[in-house]
Amino acid sequence: MPKSARVPTPPLEEQAWVVVPVFNEAEVIGPVISNLTRHFSHIVCIDDGSTDNSADLARDAGARVLQHPLNLGQGAALQTGFDYVARQQGATHVITFDADGQHLVSDALEMLELAKRKRISVVFGSRFLDKRTKPGLKKRIVLNLAVLFTRVFTGLRLTDAHNGLRVLSMEALGFVRLEQNGMSHATEIVHQIAKSKLAWREYPVEVLYTEYSKRKGQSLWNSINILIDLIVR
Amino acid sequence: MLSQWILAIALVLVGLYLLKARKSASQQAIRRLFIIVALVAGFIAVLFPNYTNVVASLLGIGRGADLLLYAFVVFALFYVVHQYRRQLWREKVSTDLARALTLAQAEIEDLKNLRKR
Repeated sequence: MPKSARVPTPPLEEQAWVVVPVFNEAEVIGPVISNLTRHFSHIVCIDDGSTDNSADLARDAGARVLQHPLNLGQGAALQTGFDYVARQQGATHVITFDADGQHLVSDALEMLELAKRKRISVVFGSRFLDKRTKPGLKKRIVLNLAVLFTRVFTGLRLTDAHNGLRVLSMEALGFVRLEQNGMSHATEIVHQIAKSKLAWREYPVEVLYTEYSKRKGQSLWNSINILIDLIVR
Repeated sequence: MLSQWILAIALVLVGLYLLKARKSASQQAIRRLFIIVALVAGFIAVLFPNYTNVVASLLGIGRGADLLLYAFVVFALFYVVHQYRRQLWREKVSTDLARALTLAQAEIEDLKNLRKR
């Protein structure tokens, strides 16, 4: 809380809130959060009813941890985080960041910088804008299907529809209300941004495919589930 | 055949219900009227089994038993869809509830931390 009017405006990253949905990520969450704390002063984890000690590890690493009383899904966890950030004084941006360690903090910082400098309301991370990320064939099929759905449903021509790294201004956040609790929120968020007519941009990011993130990744079957989720609401 | 038209339309309606059902008084009223009609028809069919044959042949279906089977299938499908919609709605309610609880808890913690400082 600022004590007087003469307190200088805090630097960019101090007004940005990183939202990290967490569900049973004890293996990796600690380092992911401590990496973030080096560059961001506000990190909020939404523990989505984990049965392991993810919440404690995230808290020890320096995140503000909110806990869902039961497992609702990643979309629901993100929305809870958005609601929390919307109540914080001085917040200017929200950054969504996956808990499994597949994103680079440096990418998040660059995206935030871009959003701020060019006054772009929404910056989506895309792993297909440069050659750094090397997804396997199966992954490529799943992601291309997701891109196709997203184009059909939202009209937004994204190259990577299901990237967990995004930067949203508070204005953009006002247009987002996720009702898809599961994984279909990624397309839902694009849909709501498309409707808002706000300025958006994609930014090349690297996605690290560790053994861990591969194990937790989405299957081909899940793209069918996402499609049906979006039709039947 | 008349029965084919009726069944095809019934299935389309079930599909539309899957996509478009909302919690509305009119839809609830229609469902309830439907159940009353089905009960009365069932009662008549029990008392006068031969009537099902008569209605069946009017609709172009071979036997009364087939008519009952078709009606049952359509009803069962509708029931599944209706329960699915209800489940979606219940999920939304429990999500809102869980989120409100989480945010209230967070606010309490934030106030406590603020006082400590």
